[in-house]
Amino acid sequence: MRPSFLTWLFSHVPWLAERWAAHYEGVKSADVPWTPLRKPLAQCRVALVTTAGVHLTDQPPFDMKDKQGDPSFRELPPTLEPGRWTITHDYYDHRDALADVNIVLPLDRLRELAAAGEIGEVAPRHFSFMGHIDGPHIPELTGRTAPQVAGLLQADRVDAAVLAPA
Amino acid sequence: MGLIQREIEQRGIPTISVTINRTLTEAVRPPRALFLRWPFGHPFGDPGAREQQMTVLKEALRALLTMTQPGTLVDLPYKWRRQVYAGLPESIRLDAGPR
Repeated sequence: MRPSFLTWLFSHVPWLAERWAAHYEGVKSADVPWTPLRKPLAQCRVALVTTAGVHLTDQPPFDMKDKQGDPSFRELPPTLEPGRWTITHDYYDHRDALADVNIVLPLDRLRELAAAGEIGEVAPRHFSFMGHIDGPHIPELTGRTAPQVAGLLQADRVDAAVLAPA
Repeated sequence: MGLIQREIEQRGIPTISVTINRTLTEAVRPPRALFLRWPFGHPFGDPGAREQQMTVLKEALRALLTMTQPGTLVDLPYKWRRQVYAGLPESIRLDAGPR
């Protein structure tokens, strides 16, 4: 669980990560997709999507041996029971996230908003990726696994999705 | 993350992301994003900091109501530690209708 030197570097020297991103040519986009919100938030079913490498302990961990990352995803229930989930992601220091998953995946906060009537409801499932993806895994992500997640969100009749990184 | 976001938005679900890497988000151009100059691994704040986490989550949801231009990236004003979060979530109203 001890973070690697690279993890430490990216966590403590933000400009290094920014420079890495500046050379990340494969992902530059021109046009931007757009779907407006259709109802008041108080009627919306909301899902969370994280790239922080969260998964249930009985799901296969993300592949840390492949230097170009792992474009697969895991389905998560709306409540994470203590001891039933973990994080597999060697590219950031996730000790704090293991202490409180809400700092990367705020399911408890989302549930509180639903209880307060500020959103309609919490979606029946949420989705987790491991955000360090490069090379041939980028088209696999954009052409296969991300559209799959979009399809599952549609099947769950989700009205809005909040995404967050590690 | 922005790449995943674009695919979801493309298929008819409005999305918002929280980013702590502005350069990457500028390159990927997701439909809506909020930037925080916070440490990696902490997009919603510190462990146990309920009001800090709720502030960011509510800002994200509010952006779904307020952002009207594809590719909008807004810098949130919140500081990592030197910021009083008590009472902040309550000041973020989510009850405006969709435009």
